This record gives sequence, C-alpha cells and structure tokens, in this order.
Amino acid sequence: MSNPQIEIQLIAVVVAVACAIPGVFLVLRKMSLISDAISHSILPGLVLGFFITQDLNSPLLIILAAFTGIITVVLVEWIQKTGLVKEDTAIGLVFPALFSVGVILIAKNANDVHLDVDAVLLGELAFAPFDRLMVSGMDVGPKSLWMMGLILVITVTLLLLFFKELKISTFDVGLSSALGFSPAILHYGLMSISSVTVVGAFEAVGAILVVALMIAPAATSYLLTSNLKKMLVLSVLFGVFSAITGYWVAHWLDASIAGSISTMLGLVFLIVYLFAPSKGLIAVVYRQKQQQIEVSLLTFLLHLNNHTEENERHLNHLREHINWQKIKAKSVVDLAVRNNLIVINNQVVSLTEKGNDFTSIALDYIITNKDEKIEHLKDDFFLFRG
Amino acid sequence: MNLKNIIVFLVVLTMVSCNNKTEDSGKLSIVTTTTMLTDLVKNIGGDLIEVQGLMGAGVDPHLYKASEGDVAKLANADVIFYNGLHLEGKLVDVFEKMGSSKNTVSLGAVLPKEELIGSEYFASNYDPHVWFNISFFKQFANTVRIELSKVDPSNAAAFKENEKQYLMALDALEASVNTKIETLPEEDRVLVTAHDAFNYFGKAYGFNVVGLQGLSTATEAGVQDVQRLSQFIIDNKVKAIFVESSVPRRTIEALQAAVLSKNHEVVIGGSLYSDALGSEGTVEGTYIGMFTYNVNTIVNALK
Repeated sequence: MSNPQIEIQLIAVVVAVACAIPGVFLVLRKMSLISDAISHSILPGLVLGFFITQDLNSPLLIILAAFTGIITVVLVEWIQKTGLVKEDTAIGLVFPALFSVGVILIAKNANDVHLDVDAVLLGELAFAPFDRLMVSGMDVGPKSLWMMGLILVITVTLLLLFFKELKISTFDVGLSSALGFSPAILHYGLMSISSVTVVGAFEAVGAILVVALMIAPAATSYLLTSNLKKMLVLSVLFGVFSAITGYWVAHWLDASIAGSISTMLGLVFLIVYLFAPSKGLIAVVYRQKQQQIEVSLLTFLLHLNNHTEENERHLNHLREHINWQKIKAKSVVDLAVRNNLIVINNQVVSLTEKGNDFTSIALDYIITNKDEKIEHLKDDFFLFRG
Repeated sequence: MNLKNIIVFLVVLTMVSCNNKTEDSGKLSIVTTTTMLTDLVKNIGGDLIEVQGLMGAGVDPHLYKASEGDVAKLANADVIFYNGLHLEGKLVDVFEKMGSSKNTVSLGAVLPKEELIGSEYFASNYDPHVWFNISFFKQFANTVRIELSKVDPSNAAAFKENEKQYLMALDALEASVNTKIETLPEEDRVLVTAHDAFNYFGKAYGFNVVGLQGLSTATEAGVQDVQRLSQFIIDNKVKAIFVESSVPRRTIEALQAAVLSKNHEVVIGGSLYSDALGSEGTVEGTYIGMFTYNVNTIVNALK
C-alpha cells in the first residue's frame, strides 16, 4: 500500500468520525437535512470572501463560508421557534434564500469569474494527499488531514466537556433549562460545530460524501440502540467501517472513492434496516406474525370458554366455526397444547385448569377495557411465544 | 473499549493491504490528462517511457471525475503533463499545488499569452482548446521533449530523434489540411458546433466559428441561444452543423429542429472530435488521425 493510499484512508476515517459525532445529534434533533442545506447556503459567504480578498484560494472564503453556515442554523432555529412551521420546512425556507443571494451577487458583480461552490470548496478525496501542508519547508502531511484532524479534536473535546448537557438538551429541553443549562447556547454551539465540520469536510472530500457521512451512520445506529453513548460509538464505527471498506471497493473497481464510500454507507444501513434485532424489518414482520397468532389463540380460547357442548369443541367443527384455514388452525391448536392451555380427547378440545384461569382473567381485562394488560398476562403464565 | 477496537481494526486492515507493491519497470512513468496529450507524449517518448492517460476516449475534461486508480498513477508519476488554461477544471488547481513536490508541467502555460484567444466572460482566462492550432501542438511537442530529457538525460538523443520525426509528421499534416481546406470557398467556412472548442481552428483556417454553448460544457444552452443561432444559420445559408464526440447530441439536434421548423434545410454534418480523441487503436485515436478526420468531415459536409 502506497503512501497516498494510506493518507486517503486516514483522511476518510478522520472525516467519518468528525461527521458521525455531530450527525448523531442532528439525526436525534430531526435536523439531519441541515448538512445538505449548509452545502448550498455557504455560497454568499464564499462570494463575499472573494469580493474582499479578490482571491479564490484565500482562507477567508472558508471562514466566511462557515460563518454563513452558522447564520443558516440561526435563521432556521429562529423561523422554527415561531412554531408556525416545522424543522424541515424552516430548513427548506432558509437555504434556497441564502443560496440565491449568492447567485444574485455573482450575476451582478462577478460574472466573469469562475466562482461557485464547486470551484472553491468541493474537494476530491482522490487528490487530497497531493495538497501538502508545508511548515518551514518541511512536508508534514496532507493539508486536509490536518484541518479535519483539528476539527475532530475540537469536536471530541467539546463532546466530552458537555456530554451531559448535550444529552439532556437533546432529549428534554424543558428539563435542561430547569437545570440551568441554556439549551439555546448548547444548540447553537452544536450547530456551529456542525457547520464548521461540514465546510471543512467539503473542502476535503466533497459534498455528497459529507452529507452521507453525517446522516447514514447516525441513522443506522439509531436502528440498533436508543442509548446516546452507544449510538455515538456505533455511528463512529459504522462511519469508519464504511470509509475503509468503501475505499477498497473503489480500489477494486477503480471507481470514485467518495461514491464507493457512500454506497457502503447505504449498504450498511440496508443490512441493519433488514436485520436489526428490534427495529429491523425482518424482526418487525416476525413480531407482527407472532402477534397475529397470539390474537388467534386468544379468540380460540374464548370460544372454548363460551361453549361447554362437545360438538362445538370438536376439532373439525372449529375450522368451520371460526373460519380458519387448516394450517392456521393447526398452528394455533399446537401453540395452545404446547402451553398446556388445552387437552384433546377423541378430537374434542377442552380447556385445562391453566387455560381456564388464563381465559377468564383475559376476559376480565377485555370487559374492563384494559386490553394492554393481556401482554403481561403472557409473562405471568410463562407462555411460549408463537 | 470501542476506540481500541477501531484501532485494532485499522491496524489489521492496513497490514493486510500493505503487501501489494507496484512493480517498477525502470522506465520513466508519465501521466497525462487528455487523450491528445497522451498521444503526443507516446510519440515523443516511444518505448522508453510508460504513459498513462487519466481521461479515456470520449471523456469530457471539464467534467472528469477521478477514480481510485488515478491516485496511484499520480503518486508514481515522474512527470505529469496537463493542458492547463483551466481545461481540466479543479484538477488544474491540484496539479499546481502538487508542483511543490512533483514535476507537473502545464503545456498550455508555455504558449505566448498574446497568441491565445481571451475569453469574453473570464477576464484573465483563455480559451483552453489550444491543440486545434497545429503550430501550438508543435510547441507542446518541443516542451514534452525538453521535460523528458531533463528527467532522463541518458535518452535525450532518442527523444530528440522522436521529436524530429513527429514534427515532420505534423508538418505533413499541416500541408494536407491546408490543401483540403483550400477546396472550400471562403464564404462557406462557417463552423457551427455544440460548444466553443474550435476557435483556434477557425482562427488558423479562416472559419467563422459559432458554438451553441459557451467554453465550458458544464453550462447548458438556453432557448434564446438556440433561436439566435438558428436565425444565424438561415441568414448565412449554413449547410451543415456538427455534433461532438464528448458532448451529448441532444443540443445540436434541438438546433437542427429549430432550423427545420423555419422551413430551412440543415444537415448534421457528422461528429467531430473536440475535447477527446477517438478510441485507442483506431485512426481517430491519434492526434494526426483525429485532425485529418475532423477536417475531412467539415469540408465534405460544407461543400
């Protein structure tokens, strides 16, 4: 593995971690779109920076871009505070407005300069190792690695210092102001960090990858846990994993690195979405099936409870009477037998003592409108699941 | 504990992937951007060097996106030749920044500024499609030879000989192009194409060149552009308009439709190679073949 290859992966990993941390909070606060919004709303900052310095490569452009990013966040917050529109609507209102200010400024004053977000900011990960940082004539590594490393250190320091405050203000604004932290200051602090991270990462790796690295790992880990600490750790892991495997996929296919990393992020999300233990698609479908059968079981038991006459409790009759298909009937009866709720003598089904108790308590709950208590009943009677 | 896991994971992955070494043939490794430059450097260097072009046939240099393989090519290159004059977009900045640690050569930069066509929109920018002037391309050849000789002085004589051969071939090309274009009456020399790639060509051979889009293929032609240009075609009785290999046909077909709707006849005279050569191995895959093909296509369609 050659030097630039190692450096690209290092940059990708640092950017992934730096994006994953604010990403978790953005996703939890339902503001994940803000990273995409910032990618557009920084244009007026770039244009103003260019007017002041007359130089497309000046660092002032990036500083002003980050500043416009913060303005975006403040405006979004401000519109949303009015309570008249939701978060996503507020974001949708602010960034086109700022972007068009930038477009008008260019059209009016700088039409003969190749000035757009693409030309000034959007980096390409493949070329990042070739833009070196020189300190007194010494080559100390790629510029973007140092820049993103610095942003990452700041982010992690602030996260460690204000973890408790961030946690409370994210989940319970009321409590956090009651405890004396200002949710507004924390919010703006977090958003400023996000804005600086987004702008810095744009310069290093390009827009699409930044948006993907901010949102996808957080969204993926949210499927697996609702514990904030675990979510942060998992997001970082998913981000780093996708960055490195994505790089090697790009190597193998000789394709765009940013594109491959984004694809990996999408794949990881898809796999977790399908297989996550409690929120995953397969788990949900399985649980729904289970609940269906449990409802059928209850219906069946109530039916037995209602009918003392033998012909009503004959196995063949049951199928006709409750109108079940053969397979379903069999699985319900099997479940009932396995749980010792019924006994079958000469094709006639009767409730056992346990079955009787269970059914009458369940019936009580249904009559008194406490359906939700039936779920606990299953634990009390040590019932098997479907 | 998780940070430890990440570090272990990284270290293992790094070690696993450390053992794929690139083999070194001992030849100079040269990277070029566009297909024109790849062809040129191959002609000067011959078998003595290893040339790798970043952009393939039919790739639009304005819109080129890097792939992972390009990283290794750039990292291992002894010399990188690029067109410059903003042709390669953001890549030009990358090469300029790389200049401190690598030998990067902008061929466009060696041309005298006063001979370049300035852009009407970009104050300090020039039209980058300089290879359509054969005498500029000869200067490119000379610069490539000098740069190659600098990094590999032991083969300087061979490079010099190759350059001599190639310049003779370019002289022959110039002569044949001139005779071909002579057959076209001067008032018929109007070249309508998808984007402004042929200004140097027009200046050298007395063509009035009109592009539907501006210099950059990243911009889109507006409805007004199409209307204005279709009127121009009718007023000047232009017989044929041309599509380009690296630009979608759609815009030129829209232009043709606009002219036809005004009850005038204009044909699509063929597809010209503008920002990239034809596929490697074909005649149009070389600069000389491409130039001959373009001139024949233009002259035959406009006659």
